Amino acid sequence: MRRNTRYGFGAVAVSLALALSACGTTDTDGEGGDDAEGLTASIGIMGALSGGNASIVIPSVNGAKLALEEWSAEHKDFKITLQEFDTEGDPAKATPAATKMATDENFLGVIGGAFSGETRATKGIFADAGLTMISQSATATDLTLEEPSPVFHRVIGYDEIQGAAVGKYIAEVLGAKKVYVVDDSTTYGQPLADKVRATLGSAVAGSDKTQEKQTDFSAVVSKIKTAQPDAIFYGGYAAEAGPFLKQLRDAGVQAPFVGGDGLYGADFPKAAGEASEGAIVTCPCLPSEEAGGSFGADYEAKFGEKPGAYAAEGYDAMTIFLKAFEDGATTREEVEEFVDNYEGEGLTKTYKFDEKGDVAESNVVVWAYKVQDGALVADQEIALG
Amino acid sequence: MSILTNAFKGMDVVRDRWVGAPKWVQLVAVLAMVSFFFYLPYLNVLPFAYIRTDLSSGGTDWSSVLFLCVLYMIVAVGLNVVIGLAGLLDLGYVGFYALGAYSVALFGSRESVVTQKIASTFGLSEGWAVPFAACIPIALAFALVAGVILGAPTLRLRGDYLAIVTMGFGEIIRIILRNSDWSGGPSGVIGIPRPPGPEDAAGRPFFNGLDVERWYWFALVVLIILILAVRRLENSRVGRSWLAIREDEDAASVMGVHAFKFKLWAFAIGATLGAMSGLLFASKQGIVEPNGFALNLSFLFVAMVVIGGSGNMVGALLGAFLITYLPERFRGFAEWRPFAFGVALVAVMVLRPQGLVPNRRRARELEDRKQQAEEAAADA
Amino acid sequence: MCGTFLDTPSEFGKNYMDFNNLFDHLGAHTLDGLTKGSIYALVALGYTLVYGVLKLINFAHSEVFMVGTWAVLGTYTVLGVGSGSGLGMVLLATVVALFVAALASASVALAVERIAYRPLRKKNAPPLIFLITAIGCSMVLVEVFGHVLRYFFGPPFGRAAVSVPSPIQTTTLFEVGGVGFTNVQLLVIVGAVVMMVVLDTFVNRTRLGRGVRAVAQDPDTAALMGVNQDRVIMLIFVLGGAMAGVAALLFTIRFDLTKFDIGFLIGVKAFTAAVLGGIGNLRGALVGGLLLGVVEIYSSALFESRWEDVTAFIVLVLVLMFRPSGILGESLGKARA
Repeated sequence: MRRNTRYGFGAVAVSLALALSACGTTDTDGEGGDDAEGLTASIGIMGALSGGNASIVIPSVNGAKLALEEWSAEHKDFKITLQEFDTEGDPAKATPAATKMATDENFLGVIGGAFSGETRATKGIFADAGLTMISQSATATDLTLEEPSPVFHRVIGYDEIQGAAVGKYIAEVLGAKKVYVVDDSTTYGQPLADKVRATLGSAVAGSDKTQEKQTDFSAVVSKIKTAQPDAIFYGGYAAEAGPFLKQLRDAGVQAPFVGGDGLYGADFPKAAGEASEGAIVTCPCLPSEEAGGSFGADYEAKFGEKPGAYAAEGYDAMTIFLKAFEDGATTREEVEEFVDNYEGEGLTKTYKFDEKGDVAESNVVVWAYKVQDGALVADQEIALG
Repeated sequence: MSILTNAFKGMDVVRDRWVGAPKWVQLVAVLAMVSFFFYLPYLNVLPFAYIRTDLSSGGTDWSSVLFLCVLYMIVAVGLNVVIGLAGLLDLGYVGFYALGAYSVALFGSRESVVTQKIASTFGLSEGWAVPFAACIPIALAFALVAGVILGAPTLRLRGDYLAIVTMGFGEIIRIILRNSDWSGGPSGVIGIPRPPGPEDAAGRPFFNGLDVERWYWFALVVLIILILAVRRLENSRVGRSWLAIREDEDAASVMGVHAFKFKLWAFAIGATLGAMSGLLFASKQGIVEPNGFALNLSFLFVAMVVIGGSGNMVGALLGAFLITYLPERFRGFAEWRPFAFGVALVAVMVLRPQGLVPNRRRARELEDRKQQAEEAAADA
Repeated sequence: MCGTFLDTPSEFGKNYMDFNNLFDHLGAHTLDGLTKGSIYALVALGYTLVYGVLKLINFAHSEVFMVGTWAVLGTYTVLGVGSGSGLGMVLLATVVALFVAALASASVALAVERIAYRPLRKKNAPPLIFLITAIGCSMVLVEVFGHVLRYFFGPPFGRAAVSVPSPIQTTTLFEVGGVGFTNVQLLVIVGAVVMMVVLDTFVNRTRLGRGVRAVAQDPDTAALMGVNQDRVIMLIFVLGGAMAGVAALLFTIRFDLTKFDIGFLIGVKAFTAAVLGGIGNLRGALVGGLLLGVVEIYSSALFESRWEDVTAFIVLVLVLMFRPSGILGESLGKARA
C-alpha cells in the first residue's frame, strides 16, 4: 500500500525534474531543409473527414492526393507530403488543427477549410502565421467580400454568384413566374436561398424555413400546394431534401425541384429514391467529363468511384501549391507571393486570384445537373452575368 | 477485465493514502501538481511526450487540446454542483454554455447586430463595443438570471421531469439563437474580443491564435479560482444543505432546509460556471455558431460528471479531461472513435457505477444499495 | 419568446404568423399532425412502459426505433419489392416487414436490457448511471449503422440518408370537407391506434399484463406474490421494442427514409410526448403523442418549420406547470386492475 503512494509521488517528482531540465525533445525541426534541389514540406488539408458530412469533403481530399501523386512521380527530388486534418466540420475542432499547422514550420500551405464555418474560425490563425490557404469548397460570401484575409484564396465561386446563377436559371431556363423558395436555416442553405430570393425578386411566390434533421414536411408542402408555384428551390442538404421532395410528389406537386450544391453528389438520389427523377441540382463545379484530360478516368482508376463533389477543385488547389514549389518557393512568404500572382489554367477554370482571394467572376462556372436513373447527369452550363 | 478492476482498486488505494496524508504533504503535492499542469504545454521529453496530441500526422495542437480540456473541466465543476451536489439532473446545460459564449459575442464584437444597434441608438462612435473585461460580468449576470428564470418554474418538478424540461430549454436557446437576426442567425457572430494584454515580441496581441499556451494558462487560472470557490461553498452551510436535499428532500425540509431556495442556488451557480466556460471558448474561437451548442454536447457534459464520479470534484475534473483528451489523442482511429467511446461509456458504467473517482459518501451509499439488492435477491 | 419571431420579419416572408394558412387548411393540418403524432405515440410507449416499471428513462430506445427502420429496408431488399409490385406482393412485404422490424427492434431492446441495464440493476445503481449507460448504448448502435456495418458491408450503411422505397403508393382515398385522406395517413393512424389498443388490452386483461402492473405498483410485494421480476422486465423491453418496430415500419411507409441518426430526434420527441401525456401511462402516451404531433404541424403552418421544436417544448413546459405529472397522470401501476 505504502509503496503505491511513494511511486505516485515519485513519478510526479521525476517527471518534473526531467521536464524542467528539458534534455531530449521530440521536435522535428531542421528537417525541412532548403536544398536548392527539391524541398521537404507538408501541405495540410482540413475538413470533415469523418461524420455525417464527410461525403462532401472526401472527394476533394482524393483529388488533392491524385494531384500530388501525379506530380511527385515527375519530381522525385521533392518530398511533399499531404497531411489530413479531420475537423468533423466543427469550427471548435478546426482551430486546434489550424494552430498545429500554423505553428509547425514544415507546413507551407493549407487546402481548406472545406466548410465556411471552420474557415471563418481558422483564417485569422493562418493569417497570423502567414500560411497560405486555398479553399476547395468554402463558398460563404463574407469570407472574401466582407472579411478578407491576406492569406485566404478559393478556387470556387461564392454563394452570391451561385445564388444569382440559380435565380437566373429558374427564371430564364425554366421560365418560372412563381417560385417557392425553401431553406434549411443552416449557415449554408439560408444565405444561398436569400440570394436566390433576391435575384428572383417579385417572382418569389412564397418562402419557408425548415431545419436540419426534419423528416415531416407536410406543413411546407401544404403551403406550396396552396401557392401553386412553377418551380421550387431548396437550399439545404440531401438528408432533408430526400423526404421533402418525396412528400411534395406524393401530394401531387409536380413543379420542377431545384437544389444547390448541397445536393450535389450521390447522396441526394439515394435519399430521395424515385422521387428525385428529373430534379435539378446546381453546382459551381465542373462536370468531370468536361474537366478535360484524363482526370475523370485517373480518379476512378485510383479510388474506384467517379469523382464526387469538388474533386477537381481539390486537384486544382493542390496543383497551385505544387506549381509554387516547382517555381522555387521554399518559404511561406514565397508561396503566398506565388499564389497571389498565380495565373493559369486549371481543370475547372482559369485561375487568377484578386486581392481578396477570389477567382474572377467571369471565370466561375455554374452547372445545372439533372437526376436521371438515380444519378446526376450534367445538363447545361448556366450563363452568368 | 481483471486488469481494469485492479486498476480501479489501485486508484482507490491512492485515494485512501491521499486522505490519510498530513496537510503539508497534501499542500506540497497540490502545488507540484499545479506547477506541472502549467508546465504541460512544454512537456516534450520522451517517454512522457507521448501524451501530446501533435506528434502523429494529422494530430492537433497540444496547447489547444489542453485549453479545450480546461474549458470542459470548468463546465464539469459547474455541472457537478447541479448534478453531483444538489442532485438535479440538468440535460440542458449546454444552454448556459451558449449564453456565456453569445454574451461576449453579442456585446463584445463590433460585428454583432446588438452592439451596432446600441452604438447607433446612443450615438456612439463607429466600431464601439463592450470591452472584454466588461463582458465577463454581463455574461455571468445573464447566466445567473437565466438560471433563475429557468429554475424557478421547473425546479418544483420531480427529477425526471426536470431532465426533459431542462433539455427543452437547452434546445430552445439554441434554436432561438439560430433563427433570430439579432444573434446573427445560423452563421453566428464573428470578431469576438480577446482578453487584453501587451503585444508580444512578434507584434501580435498577447492572446492570439498561435501561442495557445497563453490561453491555456489563462483558463487554468480561472479554473483554479473556480475550484477554490466551489470547494468553499461545498463545505459551507449551503453545501451541507445541498447534500441534505440530495439524500432526502422531505427530511431536509422537515429539518428546516429551504429546499427550493438551495436548489435554485445550485442551478444558478452551475449556470454561471457554464457561462464562464462558454465565454472563454467564444473569445478564443473568435466566432460562435448556434450549431456548436447542440443537444449532444449536454449529454457529453453529464457523461463527464458521471464517469468521473458524480459528487466528487476531482472525479468530475478527471472525467472531463479524459472525455475531451482521449478522442483527440487517438485521432488515428478516425471513424472508430465514437464507437469506441460508446463502448467505453457502457463498460465503465457497468464495471464501476460509482465513477472513476467517486465521492466517498456516494460510494458507501452505492455499496449499501448493492448489498440491499443482494440481500433481496437472496431472500427471493 | 413570441416577441422574438415577431420582431424579426424576414425580408421575403409576407407575414410572420400565417393565420390564413393555418385556418384555411385546418383539417388537413390536423390530419398531418395526427399522422406524425401516431408515430411519436408508438415510440413513446417504449419509454412509458420502461419508466412505469423501472422508473428509468431508457434513452437507448430511440436507437431501437432506428434499427427497426433498417430492418424494414432489409426486408424490402430481400423480397425485392418496389413501387411496381402487385397488390399481393405489397401486402406480403408489409406484413413480413412488420414482423421483421418488430422482432429486430425487440431483440435490440432486450439486448440493451441484458448487457447494459441488468448488471446495473443487480448493483441497485442510481438512475443517473442508467442514463449514461443508455447514452453509451445509443452511441454504439448509431455507430454500428453509421460506420461499423459500412466498414464490413459497404453501402447502404453509412452516414448518408437512404431511401426506403415503400411498395405502398400514396393515393388519396376520399375527401371530407376538402380534406384529402390518403391511404398512408389512414394506415399510420389506424395502425398506431390498433397497436395501442392491443397493448392496453394485454396489460389490463391478461395474466402477464397483471404481472407487469404488479411490478409497476410495488416490486417487492410483487416478488413476494411470486411474480418473476426479471421476466416482467424482459417482457416490457420486448413489448416496447416491438412497438418501436411497428413505428419504424409506419415511419418508412410515410417518409420512405432511414439514416443512422434518424432515431435521435424522434426519440427526444417521443419522450417529450410520453411526459406530456403522463409518463408511465399507456393511454397518456397516445394522448401526448397525438397532441405533440398536432402542435408541431400547427406551429409549422402558423410560423415556419424551424420553430416547431421550440413550440413543442414550450407546450411541454406549460402543461407541466399546470399538471406536474402530465395530462393523464402517471399510472401504469394504478391502471384499473
